[in-house]
Amino acid sequence: MKILVTVKRVPDPETTIRVKPDGSGIVTDNIKYVINPFDEIAIEEALRIKEKQGQGEVVLVSIGAKVASEQLRTGLAMGADRAILVLCDQELDSLGVARILAKIVEKEAPDLVLMGKQAIDDDANQAGQMLAALLNWPQATFASKVEFMDNYVQVVREVDGGLETVRFPLPGIITTDLRLNEPRYASLPGIMKARKKEIREIAVAELGIDTTPLLTVHKMDPPAKKAAGKKVESVQELVHLLHTEAKVI
Amino acid sequence: MPVFDLFNPSEEHAMLRRTVREFVRDQVEPQALVHDQQERFNLPLFRQLASLGLFGITVPLEYGGAGMDAVAAVIVHEELSASDPGFCLAYLAHSMLFVNNFYRNANDEQRRRYLPKVISGDWIGGMCMTEPSAGTDVLGMKTFAVRRGDYYYLNGRKMFITNGALDDTTPGDIFLVYAKTEKGISSFVVESRFPGFSLGQRLHHKTGMRASMTAELVFEDCAVPVENRLGEEGESLLHMMRNLEIERVTIAAMATGIAGRCVEIMTRYASERTAYGQPINSFGQIQRYIADSYAQYMAARTYLYHTASKLDLDRPGQRIDSDGVKLVATTMAKQVADNAMQVLGGYGYFGEYVVERLWRDAKLLEIGGGTLEAHQKNITKDLTRRLDVIR
Repeated sequence: MKILVTVKRVPDPETTIRVKPDGSGIVTDNIKYVINPFDEIAIEEALRIKEKQGQGEVVLVSIGAKVASEQLRTGLAMGADRAILVLCDQELDSLGVARILAKIVEKEAPDLVLMGKQAIDDDANQAGQMLAALLNWPQATFASKVEFMDNYVQVVREVDGGLETVRFPLPGIITTDLRLNEPRYASLPGIMKARKKEIREIAVAELGIDTTPLLTVHKMDPPAKKAAGKKVESVQELVHLLHTEAKVI
Repeated sequence: MPVFDLFNPSEEHAMLRRTVREFVRDQVEPQALVHDQQERFNLPLFRQLASLGLFGITVPLEYGGAGMDAVAAVIVHEELSASDPGFCLAYLAHSMLFVNNFYRNANDEQRRRYLPKVISGDWIGGMCMTEPSAGTDVLGMKTFAVRRGDYYYLNGRKMFITNGALDDTTPGDIFLVYAKTEKGISSFVVESRFPGFSLGQRLHHKTGMRASMTAELVFEDCAVPVENRLGEEGESLLHMMRNLEIERVTIAAMATGIAGRCVEIMTRYASERTAYGQPINSFGQIQRYIADSYAQYMAARTYLYHTASKLDLDRPGQRIDSDGVKLVATTMAKQVADNAMQVLGGYGYFGEYVVERLWRDAKLLEIGGGTLEAHQKNITKDLTRRLDVIR
């Protein structure tokens, strides 16, 4: 089975994010970048599917500046077979991303596309759904379990208040949730092998599609600072304040 | 064109650092305090290092290793030691003192026989040089081996052996043992199941490095097959010298790992802790601890990576800097850990704040793998002979 996995370069969740004073974006100096954690789960799942089936190919695809090859190289060190980097310097919205991916799917003809349910930088949670619509493929989002049956794939989805089990025939799209698996570390032999694996670069212009964003970011605000806590004298006072001030009981 | 990064000279080195750092953050750090307190070696976690491919880091690919260099070994030691120097010491004993040392000096048949067992972590190894009455004066060793037919018979005792034991009663699996023979110093691969091998004292109550096990090993007519001798009889002084260089460089890496962590902890603490209505990092006395620590750390670290990038694992001849960097980095680490404890005040004296453990662990680095005095002796000797290194 050929599996295409999307990989986005995002700021390390452990870095402190600061918003630029003019609200036009975040301060990117000295930020460390990593693979979007949900995409890392998608890579892990693809590798497990390949290992379980004993054959197949795992192809990574990323969109962005040349530096995104760092994250692709890490995915290759985890065990993916090869990678594609769509070079694109402009800002993209989810639809632009989905259109580019649709072109890549057309060229690569994978049986399955595995994506993170969202990227932790903009938390849009749209690209997978839009890609499914553009391709007219079935989709299962927020996957917490993926199993292959005779001629379909069965996915357990994490939905509000419980789990939903869905099935669809391939090809299709699955987006991963946090509890699907625990990604492996890139091993040292994996790192050494990754050096020889291919990262093919494609200029976005070559794809001949319109990626002008319909959505633009106008302003970013940092979250409100937490106000200092308050000390209370007694349990009675605490209960009283929880009722009258916090209004939680 | 990206600027050259001395600490991560290639993309592979940078990825290796990232992988080990993530592993350390998720798996090593959470268990460090309790294993130190209980003086226990975390064998299951240790074996996970094998799945990362770290045990054969300096062994070529065709022998099942990762085929990387001294810089890669330094990166791993630095990252592990930033969190758990005791655990890292067990890694050093296994991967450097046994695996790397064995690979460099073994013949092909020996490599095929033993490397898979130790690179996979099925067997845990160590190296035996020091004796109860011979340390820096290594040629004063008393352990000797006599050949009778197809066997050498070893007699003697080896002291302070890291990985000598895995717990209170189980010895490590395999050791590279130096012993005197008719023609000079030779080395032997000794399995702990060989007749005549026994675990002597399990050494408790170390000042630091308590997450690694230290033991005395006893050899009483220990029968070692001739095919377990490394190289020719009497050749092993050379083996020893070659091994000591990477040992000293990786110990220096443990020192920079400790120091980097201490700088991080004291800097963060000083920005959060307030006194007289302001963060303590606004006081000159505290600034001096932080700034001096950082500058000394970076100086030692730069010397370390410079030395590691020139280190040829196949031949000795770089002792002046392997000793030099260990001399500088280990004393620096002890001082920086002390500075960190001073900045943290009362909190620094307690285990939860990590510095206390690193402070205890740092001291060993001035003794193990060569005392400061041994380095001073070697450097003076080498420098007198080769003053051209200054130019």
